[in-house]
This record gives sequence, C-alpha cells and structure tokens, in this order.
Amino acid sequence: MEARKSLIKIKPKRYKNGDIVKVSFMIMHPMYTGASKDKKTKKIIPAKYINSLKFIYNGKEITNMKVWESVSTNPVFTIYMKINGKGKLTVKYTDNTGESGERSKKIKPKG
Amino acid sequence: MERREFFKTVGAVAAVSAVLPTVSFAKSGNPNKMDYKTAISAVTNGKQPKMSDKVKLKVPEIAENGAVVPVTVIVDSPMTPQNYVKSIHIFSTKNSNARCLDTNLSPANGKAMVATRIKLNGTQEVIAVVELSNGEFLMNKKSIKVTIGGCG
Repeated sequence: MEARKSLIKIKPKRYKNGDIVKVSFMIMHPMYTGASKDKKTKKIIPAKYINSLKFIYNGKEITNMKVWESVSTNPVFTIYMKINGKGKLTVKYTDNTGESGERSKKIKPKG
Repeated sequence: MERREFFKTVGAVAAVSAVLPTVSFAKSGNPNKMDYKTAISAVTNGKQPKMSDKVKLKVPEIAENGAVVPVTVIVDSPMTPQNYVKSIHIFSTKNSNARCLDTNLSPANGKAMVATRIKLNGTQEVIAVVELSNGEFLMNKKSIKVTIGGCG
C-alpha cells in the first residue's frame, strides 16, 4: 500500500542547541469513527483511526500519544521539544487496523 | 393463586423483552464508548483532580464546525527531571467516547504543551486533566458552543 502523506514541521526554522522549538506532525488520515454512514451506499463506514503515536529523537522516545477516534480528520499534533545536538526526529504511527508508518526529519542546529 | 402466578410470568417476560433490545443496541454501538466521569477516574485512579489556573485551555468560544475544533493545553510548570508534567489528557463531556487524546510527556520536551484538533458532537465542555511527576492531578474545563455537530 502506498504510504500516507505526512509532514513534520519545526518552528522556528533556524534554531540553536538548547532552544525549545515547536514540532508539528501532520498526516493525511480519514479518522473514521465507526458511527458515520456512506452517503451513497447508506452503509456504516468501519472504524479506522490512528491509535498510537511516538516521537523519537536520536533513539530516545520523548513523547507518546494514545489517540482516540474523536480526533479530527487529517490530524495535526503539536508539542514542544528541546534541541539537544545533531540527529534525527522520527514520528511513528499505528492505526487500529494494524497499519503503521513513520516519518523522519533531520535536526541540524546552527551556531 | 394460579392467576397470580400467571401474572408474575407474564410480567417477567414483558420485562425481559423490554430490556433485550437495549442490550443488543448497546453491543452494536461504539466499542470504545465511555462516559467522561469513568474515563477521568480511570486516568486518575479514582482521585478527584484539582481545578487549577496553571492548566491553560485554549479553545474557541463558538465553533462553527464541530468536525474541526482546535484545542491547545499549556501547563505552567517547569520541565526538569525532578519536577515535570507527566501526562496531559483531553476529554469531552458529550461525545460517545469521552477520551480524545492521552499524551505522555518527558523532561526532553522543555515545555508542557499539546495541541490538536478534535471532533465535537454538539455543544459541550472540554476537560483537560494533567498529571504531575509528584502524583498530583490538576484539571481545567471550558465550554464550547458548537453550531454543527462533527460526528456522523
């Protein structure tokens, strides 16, 4: 299956060691609750939602989230993170149907 | 005597048939269905969280579209290894599954904040429950007016 579109955004774009930056993870996901109906076929759409999210920075898990179906379609999750040296930030997600994936971004502090 | 027995059995059958449909309906509904009171007590192990201004809940007063309601929780607390915010939970009072997002933070975050967008099924309250590293629970709540519900 084709990987879902996802994105990690870091604000501000230029940061130094020791700075606290805002990290947003966005993903294209339908987040079906299992209660809504298809308008054409009048059938209930089975539940499909992200249920777990992990933020891993240089091999260390800094934040994990348990997500329920009340989170909106195409969700955005924002947290803060302390920059602590060069490396990589990885976000791993899992779905209630067993689908999983990850997204990485290089961390390059300047100055 | 016989007449009495007869009415007893008839009454029992009527009661059972009245209960049965509701039971089967509950089974076919949302498997994650949970009341917000039980959801909060499951998180806090039965403790009553304290209302606190340290927990800042940023939500719109009126949400035109219940499918996308931005929610931001900021906790006014240091994030040192000795004293930090362990977790932030977001609940809604009227959604069939009250739990929205459970976040476990660590001192590496630097600042205790979580933001996301949730679905709300009608006008209701949003509750943020925060667990500190010393085992204390704080909470704050705000009501949101929803013009169009976001479920279904």
